[in-house]
Amino acid sequence: MKRILIVDDAKVVRLVIKQILARNGFQVAGEATNGREALEKYKELKPDAVTMDIVMPEVDGIQGLKDILAYDKNAKVIMISAIDQRDALQESLLSGASDFVVKPFEDDRMVSALNSIFSKE
Amino acid sequence: MVISPERLRMLEIIMKLSIDNASRALSKTLRTGAKIGLSKIYMADFNATTEKMNNDTREMTGIIVNFKGNLGCKMLFMLPLEGSIILTDYYLRQPVGTTKEFNDDTESVAQELGNILASHISNTLVSDFNAKLLPEPPQVHNDFAGIIFSSLVLEQGILCDQLLLIESIFEICKTEISCYLFLLPELASLEKLLDAIGVQK
Repeated sequence: MKRILIVDDAKVVRLVIKQILARNGFQVAGEATNGREALEKYKELKPDAVTMDIVMPEVDGIQGLKDILAYDKNAKVIMISAIDQRDALQESLLSGASDFVVKPFEDDRMVSALNSIFSKE
Repeated sequence: MVISPERLRMLEIIMKLSIDNASRALSKTLRTGAKIGLSKIYMADFNATTEKMNNDTREMTGIIVNFKGNLGCKMLFMLPLEGSIILTDYYLRQPVGTTKEFNDDTESVAQELGNILASHISNTLVSDFNAKLLPEPPQVHNDFAGIIFSSLVLEQGILCDQLLLIESIFEICKTEISCYLFLLPELASLEKLLDAIGVQK
């Protein structure tokens, strides 16, 4: 079962993502509330993939993405954000994000993003 | 600073587009309609507007978001405290009445709804009007309407008596919840944005 690290500063968003993952055969590796914690948890838990919000306190999601990829260039990180702007999308994808899901989203969109990155293995 | 009627009219159209976009995102998030009951833009007197809000004596949940970028702006989304408890159940897809009081989940839902609204407002302004605008993490406050409103406008109120205020009222379908949405753009950067897209002075 693939293990996913959920990164979002909003507790209820993490809860909703956990429920979607559980319903679709994924396991939650852990949770983090900003980009700095995300890197610490990534090193500790070694998840198969990460879902990463962008707007978060202290260290934002784009920096969190860059830090994780600097540590592990093969990391799989899906950005999940209500920010639907060309600059944020470009910076995320050029920095190595595997996909970009815009909130609010249907469950299927996130599940298909995860299935898609694992199908490329 | 004075804004010409032509510029105000243009701003009203721009802001209505971004607020429409945000209300659609809110509806999708809550899986129920969020209908805009009123939307207007006006130059407001700092003291008069604060007094008007002081007359609303309900205890409210207010979500304040600051934006960074080339358009300085603040947003306040404010709804009655009982309303934020009902929206927690909507967000978590559970029967209304499950959440009995304001708790960690309620605060987190308020934070996320503020994030969704602010992000979708900024998305429209960025894609259609060349603004650079990103929301910062929302701050949630529970207090009386006037006190929350004062904390939004205090900084601008110190600098000048007049504020450009964009006021909308959302009604959440199937509930009695009526919410305020205020946008408070910083005037100097707003003028530059209007210049850049060629709106006549």
